[in-house]
Order: sequence, then C-alpha cells, then structure tokens
Amino acid sequence: MNFLSKIFTWWNGATIGTMLAAWRGFEHVGTDAQGNKYYRSKKKTGDGRERRWVIYEGSNDASRVPSEWHGWLHGLGEDVPESFLPPARIWETDYTPNATGTDTRYLPQGALEKGGHRARATGDYEAWSPDA
Amino acid sequence: MPNVTVDGTEIEVPEGATVLQACELAGKEIPRFCYHERLSIAGNCRMCLVEVKPGPPKPQASCALPATEGQEIRTDSEMVKKAREGVMEFLLINHPLDCPICDQGGECDLQDQAMAYGRGYTRYDENKRAVTEKYMGPLIKTIMTRCIHCTRCVRFSEEVAGVDEIGALYRGENMQITTYLEQAAEHELSANVIDLCPVGALTSRPYAYEARPWELKKTLSIDVSDAMGSNITLCSRGREVLRVLPRINDEVNEEWITDKARYQVDGLQRRRLDKVFLRKRGKLVEGSWDEAFKAIAKAKPGKSIAAIAGDMVDCETMFAAKALVKASGSDLVESRQTGMDYPTGNLAAVNFNTSFAEIENADAVLIVGSNLRTEAALLNVRIRKAVKRGAKVFVVGPEWETTYPAEFLGDDVSVLGKLPKAVTDAFKDAERPALILGAGGLAAGAYDSALGLVETLGLVKDGWNGFNVVHTAAARMGALMLGFAQDGGIADIAKAKPKLVLALGADEVDWEPFADSLKVYIGHHGDKGAHAADIILPAASYAEKPGSYVNTEGRVQFADKAVFAPGDAREDWTILRALADALKVKVGFDNFAQLRAAMTEEVPALAVEGLADYGSLPKTGKAAKAEGKIAYPIADFYLTNPIARASTTMQRCSAELIHGEDVREAAE
Ligand code: SF4
Ligand code: FES
Repeated sequence: MNFLSKIFTWWNGATIGTMLAAWRGFEHVGTDAQGNKYYRSKKKTGDGRERRWVIYEGSNDASRVPSEWHGWLHGLGEDVPESFLPPARIWETDYTPNATGTDTRYLPQGALEKGGHRARATGDYEAWSPDA
Repeated sequence: MPNVTVDGTEIEVPEGATVLQACELAGKEIPRFCYHERLSIAGNCRMCLVEVKPGPPKPQASCALPATEGQEIRTDSEMVKKAREGVMEFLLINHPLDCPICDQGGECDLQDQAMAYGRGYTRYDENKRAVTEKYMGPLIKTIMTRCIHCTRCVRFSEEVAGVDEIGALYRGENMQITTYLEQAAEHELSANVIDLCPVGALTSRPYAYEARPWELKKTLSIDVSDAMGSNITLCSRGREVLRVLPRINDEVNEEWITDKARYQVDGLQRRRLDKVFLRKRGKLVEGSWDEAFKAIAKAKPGKSIAAIAGDMVDCETMFAAKALVKASGSDLVESRQTGMDYPTGNLAAVNFNTSFAEIENADAVLIVGSNLRTEAALLNVRIRKAVKRGAKVFVVGPEWETTYPAEFLGDDVSVLGKLPKAVTDAFKDAERPALILGAGGLAAGAYDSALGLVETLGLVKDGWNGFNVVHTAAARMGALMLGFAQDGGIADIAKAKPKLVLALGADEVDWEPFADSLKVYIGHHGDKGAHAADIILPAASYAEKPGSYVNTEGRVQFADKAVFAPGDAREDWTILRALADALKVKVGFDNFAQLRAAMTEEVPALAVEGLADYGSLPKTGKAAKAEGKIAYPIADFYLTNPIARASTTMQRCSAELIHGEDVREAAE
C-alpha cells in the first residue's frame, strides 16, 4: 500500500521519481526536529553553485521547514545550520508549522468551536423571555 | 430698518438685529462660541470679532453689537483675520489637545474653527490649566478641562429650562462651570446642554466612547416618548440606534428634546420580543408564525374581534388594525388604554388648538390637570417664555414644581365652576387667553366644564383659539383622527366580550375584564402587555418602521425607518396583513404604499404633513358641573413607556433623580 501510494500520490514525502533522483545524485546533510531530511547535490551546477532539497517526513507543506533550515535551503551557510548559528536560547519556542485548516488554527473569541461567547458588539440585543 | 454694508455689499437688516446677524444675512460666516440664537447674548468668547466703522479703531464683538444705519462692516480684513487668530490662540492655551480621545471629535466647534480661523501652530509652552471633573448626573459626562467658558450651558438652564442648576464658580482663569454642590442636573431637558456645549466639556455619558459621528447613519424620525412629536434624528450604526439628536423645528421642539426622548433608545436593545410566543397550559412557550396564525384562526373570532392600540403606535399600524377589525365585521377599536372616555366626535375639542409656537404669545394661561414638566416638557418651555413676556399662569391640580410663577387653585375640578376673581380678572383683560387641559383633567372628567369655559373666559377670539388639550401619548391624536375610539372608552370593549383582542403595543391596559378573550399582543417589548398575552407576535418599534404620527396640536409628521427589527420581528402592518389571511378576510392592501393610500383616502388630513384642520369647537350651553380630584398620569417621568422601562439609562435616572438613590459613580 505504502509503495503504491508512493507511485500515485505526491502529497506525502517524495514521489518515486524524486526518490530515485535523490538516491542517485543527492547527499544527505541533516534532519530537523520534525524528521524532514535535507540534501544537497553531489555535482555543482554550471555556474558553480550547489542545489539543495528537502524531502518531507509526512505532508509536503513548505511551512514545516523551520527557519534555520529555510535559510539553509536558500543558500545560507556552507554546512548544516547548527554549525554557524548560535545555539538556541532557552526562551525560544519550538518551531510550529502554519496551522491554517487544522484543528490547532487560531479561532477568534466567539467562534462557535470556542463556545460562541464573545464580547458585546453593536447591534446585539437582549431578547425577552417570559420567565423574566 | 437700518442699512449696513458688509464687505462692500449693502443690505437692509431688520430692526434690532446685531452685527453678527447682519453679516449672516449677507452670507458671511462669523465664527462664534458663546452666541446662540435661542439664548441671551453673553459676548464672552470674543471669537466673533469684526471691524466696524464708525467706532473705535479696534475689532468689535459682533454678536453683542447692534446693527445701526450706515455701519460699514468688514469680515475679511487683515485686522479681523489677526484678531480671530489671536482669540483662537488664547482659547487653545488652556484647552487640552485630547481630540483623539474626545467624544466631541468630528462635531466640535473648536476643532472646526481652529482649522478654519486658527494659526495652525502654537507658541505656548507653559503648563496648561487643569480642572477637576464635576458630577452632573447620569446623563451628562464632564471633562471640565476642555471648557472654554462660553456659558451656554449656564444660560440654557437658567433661561430655557428655568432652573438654576448650572453655574460658574471663581473668576478669571480659575473660572469653573459646575452644577451647584455638584448635584445631578435634574430637570427634564438637562441633556440639551450636551448639544449646546461647543467643545467636549459636556458630553453624553451613556454614549461615551460608543462611536464617531461620521460612522453613524442618520435617519429623520419623530419622537414617541410624549405627544409633542419632537423632531429627532436617529443615529444608528449597523442595526443599533446609538443616539438621538434633536432636529430644529421652530414650530414643534425648537432645538430641544427631553432627556427621555434622547436616552430611551438603549431600551431598544433590551427585553425585545424577537420570537413568536404561544401560551400553552398557562405558560408562554416559543412557537412559529404558522402555529400562531393557526391558533388565532382556531379561536374562530368571526365578528367578535377588537383592537386596542398602545401609546407609541403609528397611524399606519392603527389603520391596518382597524381595517382588519372592520373587515371582520366589528368596530371595536380603542386607543385610550387607561379607560378615559371623553367624547371624541369633535376633534377640535381634544386638540391643542393654539399651536405650540403661538402659545408663547398667550397672556393668561389656565392649566387644568396637567403637570407640564413631565407630560410635555417642551411645552412647559413655551409657557415659560409666555410668562417672561408677562403672562399669568393658574393651575388646577396638585402642586408641582413650575419653572415660572404660577398660582395653584386647588386640586378638584369643581374649581372650574367657581373660578376665583384673580383668574376671571386676568382673563377678562387678556387678549390671548389660553386654557390647557391635561390628561389628568380629562380623566377627572373636566372635559365638559373646560369646554364650558370657552364661552365664559372668552377663549376664542379673532385669529386665536385658546382651547387646548395636552395628551400624553404619541399615538393619541392619530388614533382619534382614525376613529380609533369608542364612546364609552375601553369599558365598551370589555362589555362586548370579544373573543379575540389585538393589543397593539398596549401595555397600560387593565386586562382583568378580558380574561375570556384570546389576547394577541403585537408589539416590540416584553412588558405588561406581553406578560398578559396568550399569543405574542413580535413587531417593530418606532425606530424600525416608517410611519406617521400626529402630535397633540394635530401636526401630521412622518418618521423614517432607521434600523431593522431584531430576530423574527416584523413591521406591524405586515403582521396584521398576514393575520387577515389567517382569518380569511380582505383588508384591501398588499404593500405599504397601498396601505397609506387607503389610509389617506379615509382620512385625507393624514396625507399632508403639517397642522390638520379640525374645524371649530363644539357649541356648549352652560358650563357643566364636574367634580373629582385630579391625579397626574405620570408618576415617574423616566419610565412612562415600555422602551424607557427597558432602558438601563432611564432606570438609572429614575433611581437616582426620582427616587434619590445614591448611585453616583466615583469621579474617575
Ligand atoms: S461646559 Fe461647554 S457649554 Fe458650558 S461653559 Fe463650558 S464650554 Fe460652554
Ligand atoms: S460669539 Fe460674540 S463674543 Fe462669543
């Protein structure tokens, strides 16, 4: 099943084609906290630069790349980010991907999922009830 | 009539005009803070400086300078420009620069005039003066540092309202405006000083920080809190009416409105009927329109149907109800909820014939059974003006605090049969005598004896009709014009024992005699009427439907719709139209235009805005004898109608100003 889904889907991890290419010409550089793997090309391009890739562990969502690896993918530094960035401060939180469309997304006060309680706004009225 | 030259153009101005008025006639704008058309001239802000020749070679305050023949006035010279800039600079020295957090922002005279006539920068870097807040009651919020000492508020309470409540302490730079002993301003018109204050020193407490003027939609409407028919503007945002401002109409409310008219609107957001309710096993439960109409049809009222209108309904609603009742073959309609039964055949006899504007010219006034301050506060202002011009005022009824000298003649209507000599003498000499009969008098049965006095006191003269009735309900005159009345009042309806009673916002009715009827309440607030009803159909309040109202002087006025009714509520006439289908009768209209057309066909006077003509007073023989103690209908000025009763502001006013509770907030 896993094998078949690799052939027919593209949204989880690398496709068959990319896996083949990675196996042939990529060099594994590092892995981030979420398990995404980072690669660089073994051969340089015509103008002497190297190419860098990420193969996701799980869904192919660019926002899952943490900022230090985002920098690396865009050509920052020679080696893995840990080698040139200062160590993480204790007050830094873990990187979280974009939560849009997921259960952890931001919900304003008063959203039905949050129980529907919100501050009073213009046009709100208090209905009469016979027991009052 | 003097001829003056304003900026080179010669114009003729009326006798007694001031230079400021002359400039205005010539189409020149004169900046001003303290001058106000309806107040006395103070001349203390100095913003209206102009150059006048002949005269001393210095700028002159135009508001206090009479225009005289041959004056040459310049409003555009370098001297005037510099003078204005200078005054503006002085005013701004002690004015805080807190426009961003000031509620007056966007409608502030000081802001506008600083833009137009000011210098654009400041040369002042000393400390500014600061003044402590003053407590002026639940309606007026004060930020006295902003006060520019124009004394408009002081002059208003002294001259128009007629109560010495606001005044100035200390002098010069230390002058402070305050209510004496920092007590709440108590009279019924107190909040008008908020409109008068040219800066943000006096602002509206309930409306504080609610909105900016440019966000608000303005709808022209008519006030329904009393029978004066004050012209108002409803300022709304989204579907909430946030505030009410008076509109200028010299014939009706001049420039003022009562505090109730201004502040009852927050009641429109509370205790609203927004669903259909049906009484099942003694309890009101939510239902649907269909269910309700089926239940009403099941009662098979046939001809046995009646309608009772409340105090705030518009003519269209009453007409629709009457059409429905008539189509069913009944004529049981009534609007005098509290059981009054004065004859309504001649409308002139139940109308304020002198008109509000004319009553200022009266020279002898006899008030029978009316506490004008609570029943028609703006009329009281007019009477005060008449007194200032020399009118004598006599009152029959329990004593109340008049704002002018008045003589109380006792509280029994029998006094009318044997008026003291002082009264007859005053009326004998009077050229424009007036009698004002209030709801209290009508209830005590003074109708006939008051009409009898028309002859005895000579109330009707050439071009003058001094017989006046003051109602307390905004709907009353419209109802009477539509024939919404029974000879015996509401008792007639109770006697007929109708199967179905439609209560159109009727909240003051005693429902005891209607125990066997199916009571359908069509209204907007859950008040006494809703609690007594068997079926509740949610309808629209005066802000939520277009409609015409007739005030107590017979003036037909039209109000527009400002916002939509909440929830399931509908405009009243649509409910009555649907009810006609449920009862399988034809009322002859399908939309509002047809309804209005049908109404104006039946009562043509309702088609034209303005005073309706009711013809002449009925002929009466000898003055009928009447006896009975007068009691005023309004016990609590702030809580007279369902909207006001639901309003937190009005409840607070009642608690603090009428019942004297100490709910004063700590000054922030
Ligand atoms: S409070 Fe307002 S109206 Fe009264 S004197 Fe001051 S600026 Fe004028
Ligand atoms: S308007 Fe003339 S002095 Fe104030």
